[in-house]
Amino acid sequence: MKNDNIESFLRNNKPQVEDNPTFLLEVRQKINAVDGIKSEVDRQRRTGRVALVAALVIGLLMGIFAMFIVWLYPVTTPEVGSELISKIQSAIESYKQYLLLPIAGCAIFLGLIFGREERRVF
Amino acid sequence: MTQERFIELVRGEQESLRRFLLALCEGDSSLADDIAQDALVRAYVASGSFLGLSKFSTWLFRIAYNCYLDHLRKPRFETLPTDAPQMLSVPSADETDARFRYQKLYQALNMLQEKEKAVIVLFYFEDRSIKEIASILQMPSGTVKYHLSTARNHLKSILQ
Repeated sequence: MKNDNIESFLRNNKPQVEDNPTFLLEVRQKINAVDGIKSEVDRQRRTGRVALVAALVIGLLMGIFAMFIVWLYPVTTPEVGSELISKIQSAIESYKQYLLLPIAGCAIFLGLIFGREERRVF
Repeated sequence: MTQERFIELVRGEQESLRRFLLALCEGDSSLADDIAQDALVRAYVASGSFLGLSKFSTWLFRIAYNCYLDHLRKPRFETLPTDAPQMLSVPSADETDARFRYQKLYQALNMLQEKEKAVIVLFYFEDRSIKEIASILQMPSGTVKYHLSTARNHLKSILQ
């Protein structure tokens, strides 16, 4: 069989699809179901973000409150193991620039995780 | 993209898309329609990422072809649900006629490699350009031409 014959055979035998009136209806139903799932996922994500922000604000307020109480009512504690504590304090003082790096790293990491956009399928 | 806009765009492409998958699925219209619907749902979910860099139909065909490849990768023997006898459909008379009519064509296409089959279907049945086929099948234009040439040679030997 020549190339021309093959081309004419293929062009003359182009498959015809049956008319399917329910095809688009079924697609629409499936898309509606997808929309329902998407809106539910979005709702849950919003709720999660609100809970996260609320936890952060409450934590911050409680911290401020605790500091305020400590500042108002200072308590003198007996000096137990003061040498060890002063050693730790001096170690922190001398290595504070290195301690800040992992803290900043954690902050950036958390910021990226919570601030990222939703993942695309395609 | 809104649902209405998406359906409107799909309405113009559905026949062509279903024919493409019908030829790939060797005349099994119910399987072709299932894959087409799966592809359309996936396309709708991803419609936010459609930037209009290619034609909508090219983008849609690319997703449909990927769905078809996913179908091929699935294991063949799946457990049927308990109500399977009710779900098994008998092909309609029209479908049987169509399958019989195109039997020779489907048999010949079935003997080609998947990429060759896709290239032949897109070029001869869907009248797509080499550039469009390259975009749909995600391969360089030269590779499309190579597959087209080898597919024609294979068909020539099969149909002799």
